[in-house]
Amino acid sequence: MHFRLASEAFDTAPLRDGLQQPGCGGFCAFEGWVRDSNEGRQVDGLSYEAYAELALAEGERIVEEAIARYGIGDACCVHRTGDLAIGDLAVWVGASAAHRDEAFRACRYIIDEIKHRLPIWKKEHYVTGESAWVACTHAYREHEHESDHAHRHHEPAAAFAPDYSRQLRLREVGEAGQARLAASRVLVIGAGGLGCPVISYLAGAGVGTLGIVDGDRIDASNLHRQTLYGMRDIGELKVDAARRRVTALNPAVQVQTWSKPLDADNAVEVFGQFDLVVECTDDMRSRYLSNDAAVLSGTRLILASVYQYEGQLQVIEPGAACLRCLWPHEPAPDEVGSCVSSGVLGPVPGTLGAMQAMEALKLLLDLPRPREPALLLVNLLDMGMTRLPIDARRGCALHGGCASVARRALERDPGEADIALHFDVLEEALAAGFQLVDLRETKEIIAEPLGVAAARQISSAQILAHAGEFAQGRWLLVCASGRRSAHAARLLRAEGLHQVHSLAGGVSALRVTG
Amino acid sequence: MTVVNLQYYAQLREQAGMGGEQLATAAATLRQLYEELCARHDFTLAADALKVAVNAQFCGWDHPLREGDTVVFIPPVAGG
Repeated sequence: MHFRLASEAFDTAPLRDGLQQPGCGGFCAFEGWVRDSNEGRQVDGLSYEAYAELALAEGERIVEEAIARYGIGDACCVHRTGDLAIGDLAVWVGASAAHRDEAFRACRYIIDEIKHRLPIWKKEHYVTGESAWVACTHAYREHEHESDHAHRHHEPAAAFAPDYSRQLRLREVGEAGQARLAASRVLVIGAGGLGCPVISYLAGAGVGTLGIVDGDRIDASNLHRQTLYGMRDIGELKVDAARRRVTALNPAVQVQTWSKPLDADNAVEVFGQFDLVVECTDDMRSRYLSNDAAVLSGTRLILASVYQYEGQLQVIEPGAACLRCLWPHEPAPDEVGSCVSSGVLGPVPGTLGAMQAMEALKLLLDLPRPREPALLLVNLLDMGMTRLPIDARRGCALHGGCASVARRALERDPGEADIALHFDVLEEALAAGFQLVDLRETKEIIAEPLGVAAARQISSAQILAHAGEFAQGRWLLVCASGRRSAHAARLLRAEGLHQVHSLAGGVSALRVTG
Repeated sequence: MTVVNLQYYAQLREQAGMGGEQLATAAATLRQLYEELCARHDFTLAADALKVAVNAQFCGWDHPLREGDTVVFIPPVAGG
């Protein structure tokens, strides 16, 4: 037995002695003590309550994992329950190993996992007489950041072999199809509501390499539709959590991640490294960039987007109709809606994302499919599906063809890095000589005032009519999320106004850091 | 008057408060029909921001209306 709960103070000397082995040259122990304050509040004691059966089983599992992972001699852990005073020993971890490095790492692994996974709740007693149950939120786990090199000698002996038997049984897949999947490289842009099912189905199917692009961190409001993530992942970069889930699901899949959105400078080159790209963002700008990069690199692209109970799906193959054949110009953000402003039920992006994964597998395996380009409309309320063929002769062909339209669009792209500026507080922008333009609607401004004076208040839809006012001086456009302001700044830049910038992340980003 | 079947998607469905309707109209073209609908449902999107399809084929806004046509209005959407 490597783990136990203690309802009263315990002696650590016998625990240490029990870990001594002739082959062990290093021993490392960690002790967790009760501290007199937490998050600025004075504490004079606390109580631990455990779901004992589960805690014992999970604690045992954690210590065994550490022993196997680092190949150490032995380890054990004891966690207190009941009432504790300041300075009392709350948890003890010990690990013995041939060399000190493994002993340190195993000890750290055990305490990090104990804090993260054990069903033990802490009630703090404050000096004011109050008390409160304290949530054990996201714990930093050092071993997640270890390089493979550091512990590759201590991986569990039996490697997991993925079992593809259920799909191998399909006549159209078979061993040859499975080999094609293993040799494929797919880039998924956006690891949100659409991206989660795409990533998990493609990883499960055994696609050899998955690239994942996403700059966002996981928010509690994502969890109803973004099925790769859990409560404990909140605050973490989506690409990091997604990578971990893919590795847990199918370690045979190689994962490459980009934690910043692609831009006009690198998108064509990155697309060229993949057989197929699946565009899963909620961002029109990203969809147009992906379209242009797919056309110019000759990469197949699967687009989908959702609005409330509906979705749209379009597969773009080299030489056939593209997104700009349908909608030549990127629409303004207030024309297209978003999950934030319009609302969405989780299964809607779930369904469209699963359809994107299906289209990806059809393309990779060359399964039967309609060849003519089309826009598919899906309505999940009335279960209607409409396939509208796209006549490429009436699209970009009228403007020199998809490739030259895409090339011109990328050349015009001024680059987001120069347009979007980060400020922690708006006073910094004023101090840097910017005049502020608030693009929000009056009711948004009332709900959340800027706190500093804006030189202008102009609705984002009206910005071009006011272009003449921005010829002199440096301007920072501000909206709630940074999306309307970035679009407006690009419109003004296209008019030759180069001193116009957008507040990155909008007012909501200020609130988090400010 | 021409009787046509209309289908609304995304923002248009939300603004109309319905997924579709049958309508008798004096409009001769899709553009005239959409202008009539803007007044009827307070649609905020300009015709140029939309795609329109008649009987499951994309059409230009000058396309003439015929009795019994099914007309679908499609805004671009971005959610994910």
